[in-house]
Amino acid sequence: MTNVLTATKPPAMQTPIERNYLDVSGVGKAFRGVRVMDAMNFRMAKGELVSLLGPSGCGKTTLLRIIAGLMAADEGAVVLGGRNITTLPAHKRNISVVFQNYALFPHLTVAENVAFGLRARGTAKGDTAKPVAEALALVRMTEFADRPIAALSGGQQQRVAVARALVVDPDLLLLDEPFSALDRKLRETMQVELKAMLRDRGITAIFVTHDQEEALGVSDRIAVMNAGRIEQFADPSTLYARPNSPFVMDFVGLSTRLHGTVTSHDAGMITVKTAIGDLHARANFPVGTAVLLGVRPELVAPDPDPQMNSVTVPLRDVMVLGSKTVLHGVANDADRVLCELPGIRSGFSHGQTATLGWSIEDTLVYEVAG
Amino acid sequence: MIARLDRISLLAVPALVFLAAIYALPLMMLLAKSFQGPEGTGISAYIEFFSDPYNLNVLWRTIRVALLTTLLALLIAYPTAFAMARANGIWLTVFLVALVLPMSLGVVVKAFAWSILFRANGALNEFMQWIGLTSGPIRMMFTETALVVGAANVFLPFMVLPIYAVVRQLNASLPDAAASLGATPLFRFTHVTLPLTLPGVVAGAAFVFSLSISMYVIPSLIVGERQQTMSMLIARSFLYLRDETLGSTISAILLAIAVAVVLFSSWLAGRLGARQ
Repeated sequence: MTNVLTATKPPAMQTPIERNYLDVSGVGKAFRGVRVMDAMNFRMAKGELVSLLGPSGCGKTTLLRIIAGLMAADEGAVVLGGRNITTLPAHKRNISVVFQNYALFPHLTVAENVAFGLRARGTAKGDTAKPVAEALALVRMTEFADRPIAALSGGQQQRVAVARALVVDPDLLLLDEPFSALDRKLRETMQVELKAMLRDRGITAIFVTHDQEEALGVSDRIAVMNAGRIEQFADPSTLYARPNSPFVMDFVGLSTRLHGTVTSHDAGMITVKTAIGDLHARANFPVGTAVLLGVRPELVAPDPDPQMNSVTVPLRDVMVLGSKTVLHGVANDADRVLCELPGIRSGFSHGQTATLGWSIEDTLVYEVAG
Repeated sequence: MIARLDRISLLAVPALVFLAAIYALPLMMLLAKSFQGPEGTGISAYIEFFSDPYNLNVLWRTIRVALLTTLLALLIAYPTAFAMARANGIWLTVFLVALVLPMSLGVVVKAFAWSILFRANGALNEFMQWIGLTSGPIRMMFTETALVVGAANVFLPFMVLPIYAVVRQLNASLPDAAASLGATPLFRFTHVTLPLTLPGVVAGAAFVFSLSISMYVIPSLIVGERQQTMSMLIARSFLYLRDETLGSTISAILLAIAVAVVLFSSWLAGRLGARQ
């Protein structure tokens, strides 16, 4: 397999309609007078795999249902492939949805479930056999064609749901928490499989998920959502290395968190006084600003160079996880220092004090309410 | 496991003894009488019953009224069950009370209340003449239509509740899934909602049909002696004609129809439910 993370079609080769293939603009929604979404803008290109990532209640499922036509937006427009579908009912949009609980029809067999979309589009019963067989072969469920749905495991049900969604050749595929009902091992296998399948067939797809690892693994770009807004919409590496808010930093991956106040400011470099000493970061905040410092755990290491940020903290926990060893240092009640070292590392123990450091360039800094 | 199951199944013994003594035994004795005519044991009573056109007419009317009652109750109950499944909190309580409370009122009170509405100088006739729909009073009491309407009214809860129970269990994302696969509202109904709710329809229809085919009080009050039903024939045979053979013969025929309906509907419900 090629590097699937970066193997997207270069934008220059796409037409303007393909570049803004799905264009959600100014969409708002209220439930019983409570605004859950305001002026939502969201664009993605044809063939892209995008994740909507956020905690429950952030509006990601609302956005998915509005795109699918299963829920009407109060205002705003949804345009797909140059066609305004804002007021089009779901069954005329040609947008397939894989539901969280798969929503397979319990009174139909596997093959009848997969044939459903073709039958609904008026395909004669006799003409569904070939596309259904192909779709089942694609998800490796051929031998289950005549089984009832109740006889399938969770992973098998998911494959059928994907086959049923793809057999109609949708313009857009929406997946609502598609892996959440699977156990961890199966989930990882299915993520790799599904991503390769969608990529091979050039499917444009949106995954809705609350699982950051899943989002990082399956998507070209991730829209991190919070309270009905998109906080940041970027590719996985940018999102992880340069989160634009404390929310994104905390939601995508783990990090050291240290609160402090800017005490000096000179040529794009600030000094921040924290509970465990002075630290530096590249930023332009005036003296007196309350800030939050962060750094990703794998960028933190023991025995730092003198020009790096350095702290000495008691270790509350040392977790040896096989492929990595995680040190959890305590700064104070709210603040912590996380250090992740590759492989099994001895020489650290609970209660011991460690000196840990990281590069000033790697230090994330956000203004916070004092 | 088996010992445990046996012990729990002992709990059914009181009900079985009760049913055997109070229901099955007398019924068997009654049915036995239908085979004992004046000329000895045989099926002569049945031959006699079926060779009388009047009896065939009553049998057909009874089945027709039961079928129409079932159909009318179904048409009213089906959408109601969906509304109830959507309702919650106070509205669900309102629905259930509205459905169950009239059952405690008794058929006699209801029948006299209907007569206020349906009689020649009743509210409905006055209204229809007032809006110019009819020129004079039309006969509504003592008709088969009134009987069907009245019976459907009384038996409605027996249709609504089984359908409601099935609709309540319906996975709400199935219609959404069907829509996203390109199914029109009609296709969604005929291919998803209807097949999945059919077991409830079968159960409700079996209830209402069994109740309407054997009803006695409702037709006695609404249509009277003018248009007899099977139950009224039975009562007349026992009470006025003192003909036990005829009474038990008609009872046996009625029972056979009810048993056939129950067996057929459980077979149908089993088939419909087998895949789910």
